[in-house]
Amino acid sequence: MLFPMKILVTAKRVEDPESKIKVKPDGTGIVPEGLKYKINPFDEIAVEEALRLVAKHKGETVVVSIGGKEVHEQLRHAMAMGVDRAVWVNHTGPLDQMAIAGLLKKVCEKEKPDMAILGKQSIDDDQNQVGQYMAEWLGWGQATFASKHESLDSDAEKSKTPALVVGADGKTVKVVREVDGGLGTVECTLPAVVTTDLRLNQPRYAPLPGIMKAKSKPIEELTPAGLGVDVAPKLTVLKMSAPAPRKAGIKVPDVATLMQKLKTEAKVI
Amino acid sequence: MDSWSAFRSALEAQLPADTCSTDADDLATYGRDWTRVFAPAPKLLVRPRTTAEVSTVMQLATAHKVAVVPSGGRTGLAGGAVAAKGEVVLSFERMRAIGPIDALGLSVVVQAGAVTEAVHRHCAEAGLFWPVDFASKGSSQVGGNIATNAGGVRVIRYGLTRQWVLGLEVVLPSGEVLQLNGALEKNNTGVDLRQLFIGSEGILGLITQATLKLTRLPGKTDVFLFAVDNLKAVLKLFSTARKGPFTLSAYEFFTDKCTARLEKHRGLRPPFEAASSHYVLMEVEAADAGALDPWLQKLFEDGLVRDGTLAQSEEQARGLWALREGISESLSATGLPHKNDIALPIEALGAFCTELDSVFSTRYPGWEICLFGHIGDGNLHVNVMKPEQLTKEAFWEKTHEADEQLFSLVKKYHGSISAEHGIGLLKKPFLHYSRSDTELALMRALKAAFDPLGILNPGKVL
Repeated sequence: MLFPMKILVTAKRVEDPESKIKVKPDGTGIVPEGLKYKINPFDEIAVEEALRLVAKHKGETVVVSIGGKEVHEQLRHAMAMGVDRAVWVNHTGPLDQMAIAGLLKKVCEKEKPDMAILGKQSIDDDQNQVGQYMAEWLGWGQATFASKHESLDSDAEKSKTPALVVGADGKTVKVVREVDGGLGTVECTLPAVVTTDLRLNQPRYAPLPGIMKAKSKPIEELTPAGLGVDVAPKLTVLKMSAPAPRKAGIKVPDVATLMQKLKTEAKVI
Repeated sequence: MDSWSAFRSALEAQLPADTCSTDADDLATYGRDWTRVFAPAPKLLVRPRTTAEVSTVMQLATAHKVAVVPSGGRTGLAGGAVAAKGEVVLSFERMRAIGPIDALGLSVVVQAGAVTEAVHRHCAEAGLFWPVDFASKGSSQVGGNIATNAGGVRVIRYGLTRQWVLGLEVVLPSGEVLQLNGALEKNNTGVDLRQLFIGSEGILGLITQATLKLTRLPGKTDVFLFAVDNLKAVLKLFSTARKGPFTLSAYEFFTDKCTARLEKHRGLRPPFEAASSHYVLMEVEAADAGALDPWLQKLFEDGLVRDGTLAQSEEQARGLWALREGISESLSATGLPHKNDIALPIEALGAFCTELDSVFSTRYPGWEICLFGHIGDGNLHVNVMKPEQLTKEAFWEKTHEADEQLFSLVKKYHGSISAEHGIGLLKKPFLHYSRSDTELALMRALKAAFDPLGILNPGKVL
């Protein structure tokens, strides 16, 4: 028999890498005009995994996002994919990783999920810290960089089989994770924090009925003050700058010249 | 010295040394398009860099009565760019300059060899758009787009290429250069010769440069994919979408036969739990958010769609488009398709398709037929796949017979035997199904007026 699971997932609002991202000339941040936003792709994978687990085990999924009212877009997207309800921590202004982990810890204490599944990092600042802080502060087990043996073209993926395996007693989770040079498997006692890597699954497209239904699903509003978390940043961004532009390539007249340049100039062969 | 040798030595004397090539690989590559019916056999490839050089080639071709086949991105599907009879292939690929954008007049001057997608990228930087858009835009060239009056996925919103060309520079078979209409939006001064060259498939003159008309890039678009039961539902959904709370910018359909090939070749699948026999890709602009929900709700209530999705990001939108745009390529990569590209008045499509089914079941019992197309324009791509056990020759023979029946049906419903692919070599035997004797005679008279020696793309269209 399978035990019902309650799973908490995150849906950070990040800049869509398909829009043109430019650094402000004064280096204080990026130019917000013309940007599009989406769910952090790693979080989207977390949402997908949670939905697969709950489809198998029954139970409930809850999605959390932190930010201004605009993060409702990402919460609705997760709910359109199938998440049952949303928690919105209303906060505008900069947040560092410790503040985010602190807020999520409080939400976990309130919601008491069996598992929290998060993206291993968000594609805006690529920190890869929140899941680890959170697990440590909650005193939970952690399995980072969750992946799976099967490829994304496998039948297991096509049939939307969850990659995370919950023990028969509902008290543990087995996680295949990416490590240097291969895959390792860890088992955690639940509740636990799992962070997702890119090859865990292929997130679903939100079905239209789900998109419509998501509009009436509940979003609960919380605040850092209400949760009792001091979110004053301990990290300060001093300066942001764009990577140096790539030098223009050159054209070579023939293969012989190409080979010669690869040998003597690029020194790659 | 015979006339070919005289032509060759004159070319070499008057043009830079690297203009001509007789390399076997070059000849095989440049001698054909995306059709695989005709074996390429050109004698020479010339790649001029300027209009003046094109003019020189044509003057010499006229003087020595040498046949010339114009060649763009060679993504055509009717054999219009095939050189199978020892012709000279004139490639425009070295003439790909894209000029500065006229942001007030909304136009840009480009050379014929500019790649369609490169023009799109250039215009996008100014927030503008040349709305000629189709699956092969990464290879096709503007000159070919114009010479074939290309259609594609945005016709329902923007019309054909014909509507987006302000001016043309054309080299006549004699070598004379014509400047037609420049950048003028309005110019009612007699017969519009420019329009004669658009869609002429290179039989009247060589397009060397064009002034393209631009529009603003579309704002936010929404991309939907629907799973529906049958073609009837595809058409019914279209009539509902026509009145929907948005501007339709694309309405495309395809069947599960197409997606099976797509999965085999590209590993892509429609993102639905249950498979369906027919799919519709719909793109809309300026959706009225308040009215859209009830509209969508009703589709499900009325049982018009089985399932559906709306892209939540640019990446997902591209993913849905890939399902449609990957089809043509996947069919050719996984088998040998016989392609037909027909157009019907949209209100006749339902009845036409019912009759078509019976043609297929008698002519091709058990064969795999992949249907897709710009259904919103009444345009169907009918792809018959070669069965394993049949030889290529036997396959062409059978499809040729069946085409006669298919085209009689097209004629009966006042359709066109070539909606957007053109006539080229492939559809030439069937042109009479769509054009009257008088029309054909007038076309021949035009051809004779522009190309009295018949040296330009001979054997094509007429």
